[in-house]
Amino acid sequence: MKNKDLVLLIILLPALLFCHKINIFATVEGNKIYTQSYASDGNKIKGGLIEVYDKAGNKLLSGETDSLGVFSFTIPKKDDLKIVVIGGMGHRAETIVSAEDLPEIKSAIVEKPQQKQKEKKEGIKTPQMETAAIDTTFLKKTIEDVLDTKLHPIIHMLAEQKEKRISFTEVIGGIGYIFGIMSIIFFALGRKKNV
Amino acid sequence: MHIAEGVLSASVLISGASVAAAGTAIGLKKIEYQDMPKVAVLSSTFFVASLIHVPVGPTSVHLILNGLAGIILGWAAFPALLLALFLQAILFQFGGLTTLGVNTTTMALPAVLGYLMFYRLVHFENKVINFTGGFLSGFLSILISGILVALALSLSGEAFIPVAKMVIIVHIPIMIIEGILTGFVILFLKRVQPELLRRSEK
Repeated sequence: MKNKDLVLLIILLPALLFCHKINIFATVEGNKIYTQSYASDGNKIKGGLIEVYDKAGNKLLSGETDSLGVFSFTIPKKDDLKIVVIGGMGHRAETIVSAEDLPEIKSAIVEKPQQKQKEKKEGIKTPQMETAAIDTTFLKKTIEDVLDTKLHPIIHMLAEQKEKRISFTEVIGGIGYIFGIMSIIFFALGRKKNV
Repeated sequence: MHIAEGVLSASVLISGASVAAAGTAIGLKKIEYQDMPKVAVLSSTFFVASLIHVPVGPTSVHLILNGLAGIILGWAAFPALLLALFLQAILFQFGGLTTLGVNTTTMALPAVLGYLMFYRLVHFENKVINFTGGFLSGFLSILISGILVALALSLSGEAFIPVAKMVIIVHIPIMIIEGILTGFVILFLKRVQPELLRRSEK
């Protein structure tokens, strides 16, 4: 058992340990929020703990990311939601979904509570199965769902592009800063000596 | 091994910051005028080293090089690493401004310890001993950094032993790589630029 744990550790953890930073993206689609968490080097955060808080700081729900770093949940309430991912080892990231981005969810919950339950169970493992949830009763709703499904990859692409990647210019700039600041200290030390 | 903001408890943040401040003060006091370029070079080396990820198997690793900074700079490793970590925090959001003190301490304190323990070995007239000095300072700096990170996390809630185990086990390859690298850098510097390794402290 101990050995098994160790092997798992060695396989799963480097992704977490060697990165400097983890990121989380949240996108609203229909009455659900999809979150994707990954490390700064592009590795997905597997089994990361996700916690969702409302504006007042109350914990609304929590869960774990799947093997693709994805965790999705039905919008618990229309409020500014703070979504936190905790990767362990001192890694933590958060994002805020503002209330304006959330749809009116009251009707949706009344409409199909059973399906919701089902989704909640399956949703964590296969968020792509969202297509099954098309409600044919309302044309508007149907269109929205179809659009969500179609736009899913595009929204994710946009979210990923929003991520700040390390750019060469910043690295060079950083080195410049180091030398600049060191020169100021150099100057200060030199002046002290001359006096 | 950057610890993100919002993970550590206030007491850990404050003690980390005080150790970093004390170390930086000592470091700045000990820097000689002619050593400043050396400090700048190693500060930027550290700044860049952790940005370059080398893919190894399913994951990627990066160098840390705090041991190298320590053995060459001594106490000046504190201001050097503080500056590099500060820029990593504001430019790339690695770590964060509130955890800057803790991160500086976890990186620079082992570097200085490595220096105090092994700098004598670097000045022997024997290449094997020189290499060993470099290797040990590179190797142990990361080991102690890992222990300090685990300690900081455990004082803020996570259990110490499993966290320490994880951090150390995953860093074993990088400890060895960095030990060897630091050893070779020491040999190289001794051959081409021995004044870089000169003991600047009185």
